[in-house]
Amino acid sequence: MGYRTKAFLYFLILIVIITSFGCSTTGDKPFDAFAISVTDFRGKEISLAKPATRIVCLIESGLSGLYMLQAENQVIAVPSAVYDEGLFSRYAALDDRIKNKQLPAPGNWDFVSIENIVALQPDLVIIWSSQTESIQSIEAHGIPVYGVFLESFSDVYKEIEDLGKLTGKSQRADSIIAYTKSEIISFKKQQKSSNEKKKSVYFMWSQGLLSTAGTTSTVNELIELAGAINSCTFSQEHVTINKERLLDWNPDVMVMWHNPSLKPGDIIALPELKQVSAIQNKQVFELSSVFMYDLWTLKFPNSVKTIAKWCYPDTFADLDLKEEQHKMLIELYGKRGGRLMDEWQE
Amino acid sequence: MEQVNKAVQVRNISFGYNGQLILDDVNAEIEAGKLTFILGRNGSGKSTLLKILGGLLNSQEGVTRIFGKNSAKLNVSERSKLTGFLNQHHNAVFPFSVEDVVLTGRAGFINFIPKESDREASVQAMEKVGILHLRNRNYTDLSGGEQQMVMIARLLAQNPKILLLDEPTTYLDFSNQSHLLNLLKQLVKEGLTIVAVMHDPNLAFIFGDDFLFMKDKKVLRSGKSLKAWDTEFLKTIYHGKLETIPYKGRVLLVPFLN
Amino acid sequence: MNNRNISILLYSLPIPVILVSLFIGPSQYATPGAILNMFFNIADNPGIVKSIVVDVRLPRVLLTFFVGGSLAISGCSIQGIFRNPLTDSYILGLSSGAAFGAALALAYAFLPVQLSAFIFGLAAVGLSYFMARKNRNVSIVSLILSGIIVSGIFTALLTMVQFFSDPFKLQSIVHWTMGNLHNASWGKLQSSIIPMSAGVAVLIIYRWRLNVLALGDDEARTVGINPGKDKIIILFAATLASSSAVAVAGIIGLYGLIVPHMVRMIIGPDNRQSIPLNFLFGGMFLLIIDNFSRTLSGFELPIGVFTMLLGAPFFIFLMKKTNIGWNR
Repeated sequence: MGYRTKAFLYFLILIVIITSFGCSTTGDKPFDAFAISVTDFRGKEISLAKPATRIVCLIESGLSGLYMLQAENQVIAVPSAVYDEGLFSRYAALDDRIKNKQLPAPGNWDFVSIENIVALQPDLVIIWSSQTESIQSIEAHGIPVYGVFLESFSDVYKEIEDLGKLTGKSQRADSIIAYTKSEIISFKKQQKSSNEKKKSVYFMWSQGLLSTAGTTSTVNELIELAGAINSCTFSQEHVTINKERLLDWNPDVMVMWHNPSLKPGDIIALPELKQVSAIQNKQVFELSSVFMYDLWTLKFPNSVKTIAKWCYPDTFADLDLKEEQHKMLIELYGKRGGRLMDEWQE
Repeated sequence: MEQVNKAVQVRNISFGYNGQLILDDVNAEIEAGKLTFILGRNGSGKSTLLKILGGLLNSQEGVTRIFGKNSAKLNVSERSKLTGFLNQHHNAVFPFSVEDVVLTGRAGFINFIPKESDREASVQAMEKVGILHLRNRNYTDLSGGEQQMVMIARLLAQNPKILLLDEPTTYLDFSNQSHLLNLLKQLVKEGLTIVAVMHDPNLAFIFGDDFLFMKDKKVLRSGKSLKAWDTEFLKTIYHGKLETIPYKGRVLLVPFLN
Repeated sequence: MNNRNISILLYSLPIPVILVSLFIGPSQYATPGAILNMFFNIADNPGIVKSIVVDVRLPRVLLTFFVGGSLAISGCSIQGIFRNPLTDSYILGLSSGAAFGAALALAYAFLPVQLSAFIFGLAAVGLSYFMARKNRNVSIVSLILSGIIVSGIFTALLTMVQFFSDPFKLQSIVHWTMGNLHNASWGKLQSSIIPMSAGVAVLIIYRWRLNVLALGDDEARTVGINPGKDKIIILFAATLASSSAVAVAGIIGLYGLIVPHMVRMIIGPDNRQSIPLNFLFGGMFLLIIDNFSRTLSGFELPIGVFTMLLGAPFFIFLMKKTNIGWNR
């Protein structure tokens, strides 16, 4: 073998040896005196000696939860989606640090910059639990990670409860969870008094007309809470159907998730759907704001009420959605919550 | 032993492809140290026979011996010391330099990376063929004739005992043809055995020592050059009207003018 | 500049490029000044600077270098054995196999993503190879054809997985296929560097054989090389290196196709020079691209996308500027 071949092979062996020694210098901290301990959605136990004060939150719904818990001063970095059009105005209204673009955004839930996160020296990172590779990299630096995965409204309660413990805001967590539960209970009472026939709702994700949610989804829970029936009977989370199926189902109401390219009028104008009763009666509506109709935070009762009012306008004739929303925002986000309402109305 | 001066012995070989017989019970012998031409019309099986001699194809029946060794039992490395093969067509895709192409002839001597002695051997081969001035040119930029000379230099770098050439003069102009054939004669004088398939019987008759004639999947008459000048025999081989003209004790073929 | 000088330059560049890359990154702590201070023990915040440089940037820089090098050297070798300058390991179904494996793991979490991508990438190339094999012979045309078929099958399976995935998983899958070096860590490097190095080492050893194989099967066999055996060894080594790279970094499209051409334009087609330089140049070039992607914006840009946007124009520029001998 030539000298060049040998040199190259030695070089490779050298790098392999260097690599095998390379490992994160910050190991696990000693396990004693953990005052706080929760189990996240991965089933992993997160233990902290004291409430987290340097939180990097990489998911928007989690961030909203932290603001509701009044733990915003413990947040040192936010998901980059917060600075996107649509969400920015809301968070700017809640927090001057975001308004002045002072809070760093080391990535969204995907495509995070590990380097930025490490440099921020956080004592807690919140991210979707499905991001296993990012979680591994972050935990390798000895940083605790709370992994979130929301499949139902009870998961939302669990998340708020856990975040309350991790931030030392358990009392606040209990109080806002109790508030939300009581909202749902009183709504149900109002609903029970009516004898209207149950309506069927077809839910439409923003991917397009035929992209809907099955019976195992949070959307299904939402529709049932609103007292209606999900048209889609497939037991999957996310389903793409064909148009014939949609005609068969013949939903009474169609609810669109926030959609930048399609509006209810466009759907009503579709000639191939003119046999569908929702189209004939022009019962197509859009949950027009991702922030206001968020299904993954305690704001979800707002969506429940809105859909209920769309389905049963007579029963809920007295329900003033604007007022309900205003009340909810103040309750959840505190005094500044009212500003969210104003922004939204603009 | 009889075999000693026989470079190649072919016994009862048959070869077919897709159910079509191309060689049918062929027998032939080729003497060492001679320039032997395989002649015949298109489709008579010349190239197939040459490929079997070079081990690129294996006959379904019969035995081929190269210097007494059973061809079927040679591995690629042993074979490369015995026979070298020049294909009729070759297309290099990458623009290698001439020197790099010639150097690949040394593969049988090289484990993984060529040594200085291999480079010297290929320089000598290029010198012998007269293409040393082309050594740094891109092989793909050369004319067909120059490429042919490069491939012959590659064969010489390989240094086998027998050179098997399939239509070596096809892409060459007139002067290059005589240059090449004189080179082949020179190589034979130095002890090599050369077997070449030729379309043009006249060039073969001028330069050859021995001839194999092929017709209808068989070798008609092997060797014994003197009998080759029989006009009637040549008419059966080339299947047509032709005349022969005497030339330096041999003959040249001319097509018959209607 | 003659070939020798270019060669010396390319051999000596990787070390400084790697060192400079360690100074580049978005963090306001680990600035070049702070890193230098760390070496003289006068940094304000030595723990965090060291952590960023040693545990974040170093593994990422090494991983990027090896991924780029492995993809380039594999692409060059596969072009050599197929005698076709238009191929790379992706043509044989590697990327679609790996993408399907990753998607399956992301959607159903039955295997680590990286392992699943590696297994399916390797399986796809193996499948292409055995589908093309006929009478103990593998022709180039049938291999490329079966590669296209296998790619099609795995792309269909990938689409099926995506179809049944909820939007979050779907987005993870889509992002995986864009290439993702931002999750680099020592663990990822350790799990991939041995197969990458092993593949690269074999290709380095066999590099001159590629010159022989590039002239054609008959031409190789008559000079004493068994083309079938050598091709399998080289194909396996190239697949091993590139599928480990894809498994760890996602799909970095066309990289294995473009870089070997760049290296050929710079140094010529002789694989004795170009194979090692493909590794070095491929590693450096991806590192430089990744340095841009790490610093140009506050967040991470997918490396696969960035590579195309930066690499393709550069490639076109080189193709117009130099005569690479594809005119015939």
